[in-house]
Amino acid sequence: MIGVALATRDLVKRYGRRRALDGFTLAVPRGATMGLVGANGAGKTTWMMSVAGFLRLSSGTVDLLGRGPFDAAVHSGRFTILPQDSDLPLEARPGDLLYRYARMQGLSSEAARRSAAEMLAAVNLADRARSSVRSLSHGMRMRVRLAQCFLGSPEVVLLDEPLNGLDPMEADRIRRFLLGRRGRQTIVISSHNLHDVETLCTHVAFVEKGRVARTSTLEAITRATNRVTYVLAAEPTDKAALAAAVQDATFTWMDATQSLVCTFGESAGNVAAVNRSLLPVLLAQTDVFSVSSGLSLEQAYLNHSPS
Amino acid sequence: MKSLFRIGQVALAECAGAVRSRRALVILVLYLLSAVFCMMGTITMLGKMEAELATMLQLPESERTGVVSATLWKSKPFQRMIKAGVKNDLVYNDIAGRHPAELVYAWFAFMCAPLLAVLVAGNRVADDLRSGAVRYALVRITRLEWTLGKYAGQVLMVALALAASAVGAWLVAVFRLSGVGAFELLPAMFGWGFRAGLYALAWLGLALGVSHVTRSGSRATAIGFVAVALCAAWPGILKLVDGWLGCPWIHHFDAIVPSSAEMSLWRRGFVPLFTGGAHLFVLGLAYLMLGHAVFARRDA
Repeated sequence: MIGVALATRDLVKRYGRRRALDGFTLAVPRGATMGLVGANGAGKTTWMMSVAGFLRLSSGTVDLLGRGPFDAAVHSGRFTILPQDSDLPLEARPGDLLYRYARMQGLSSEAARRSAAEMLAAVNLADRARSSVRSLSHGMRMRVRLAQCFLGSPEVVLLDEPLNGLDPMEADRIRRFLLGRRGRQTIVISSHNLHDVETLCTHVAFVEKGRVARTSTLEAITRATNRVTYVLAAEPTDKAALAAAVQDATFTWMDATQSLVCTFGESAGNVAAVNRSLLPVLLAQTDVFSVSSGLSLEQAYLNHSPS
Repeated sequence: MKSLFRIGQVALAECAGAVRSRRALVILVLYLLSAVFCMMGTITMLGKMEAELATMLQLPESERTGVVSATLWKSKPFQRMIKAGVKNDLVYNDIAGRHPAELVYAWFAFMCAPLLAVLVAGNRVADDLRSGAVRYALVRITRLEWTLGKYAGQVLMVALALAASAVGAWLVAVFRLSGVGAFELLPAMFGWGFRAGLYALAWLGLALGVSHVTRSGSRATAIGFVAVALCAAWPGILKLVDGWLGCPWIHHFDAIVPSSAEMSLWRRGFVPLFTGGAHLFVLGLAYLMLGHAVFARRDA
């Protein structure tokens, strides 16, 4: 993961007096899968649309793959986007449409045909290649929209709510598909489903009021390296035994979730070492139902967010 | 070269999309039927006139329409009457002697070209802007390539409509008119279809240019019709302005509407056809680029 695939600096987009982007600065490392997390209207979609060149920026700079702001003549085939609320041409057929898009981004006829077929198979729509888009369900259309993003394996892909409207089976298939792409392409995902972001992303950015409030690796944000949570049958009674098992640690009992949170310092070692020391002590006192490291992304986001 | 290829890809997608869309298909069929009925109506009218003429002259009625008309077309007084109607000696000289079926089809194709252009192309860009479908193309090609591809696709679509209507009108003429050389008439019909296609280039540019400035397909079509009406009224407006302000030079502005080049397309020979066609092509591109200039500066 060397270098930055996409960097935006001080982006401002005004709609009259309202600022949809207000100094949005973000660097996406090459090969990262970055999740954008934020409230409705925080500016995630506006940022993606600005990077893709759909919106005219009021100010700020975009550097895509080290070649300046998006320019189809330069970036075609190297960058794609799944824009939110954008229908495909209704009269087109998915197979023809993907072939045509692949040709537009410079693939040869043979490669375009192969790539279109592969992508349709990847989103489980190979049997609907010759149906019209009009005849597809909302979820199917979303899958075709997703498929067009990965034609010819572009280097940078922006996905705005990629799992929206998919049934559980298809959502799982797409999750696996995206996980398979991790590290091979730079992917930015905007989603309100924090579980998806947690599953798919290596990096996270919290977006608030048109700017990035915090960005880091998922591990750092969820503190996965210095925190272990145990879901237990009952609160442990012998706290001294716990403290003796792991020194340089604090223990917090959460009644609502029946969980014990252990936050430890560097001298305690890593998550595995702490778990090895603590688990026998806990099992001697009560039943342990689950062990997880760090906070959930949702908890981290809620802790971070002032509201 | 890459740009031309991308424009071609958009054009093919656009033409295929337009053919598959119900609206374009309905317009195509309606246009074909209009050409057929126009030809049938004219031949029926001609037949009645010939029958009346035969009765008046106490001659036996001809079994097929066209025999009397062909004779009439050769008479000097009739020629003088037509010449006065055409109001352009050069055009009259070039169309004199042509088969009436050709002229009926040519008149239909030229008259309906603006309507065809607005109905087929008026909503194509605006609908893509509204639905967001344009975005899938704009991450792969430039806005200019997309605009030109849309235009080229619509030109193909109109060419298809004109070719179909020429064949339809030709079939009616062959079956219902006397003295028609079927194999001489068909190329002539296609020739007029081609000329009407050149005429439609400007109207397509106008319709698509208008379509770039709004996100509503129906509004774009409505504005397109208003623009066509304005173009039709344009020479009259210039005449009025000249009358009020006494500025005869204002008639040079007549060249900015497609009808100013229409007469060149009725002429025989390469030069008038080329100059008229070039004028209309440039005019169409100018309208299109005006619309594109608005689109290029706005959010997609």
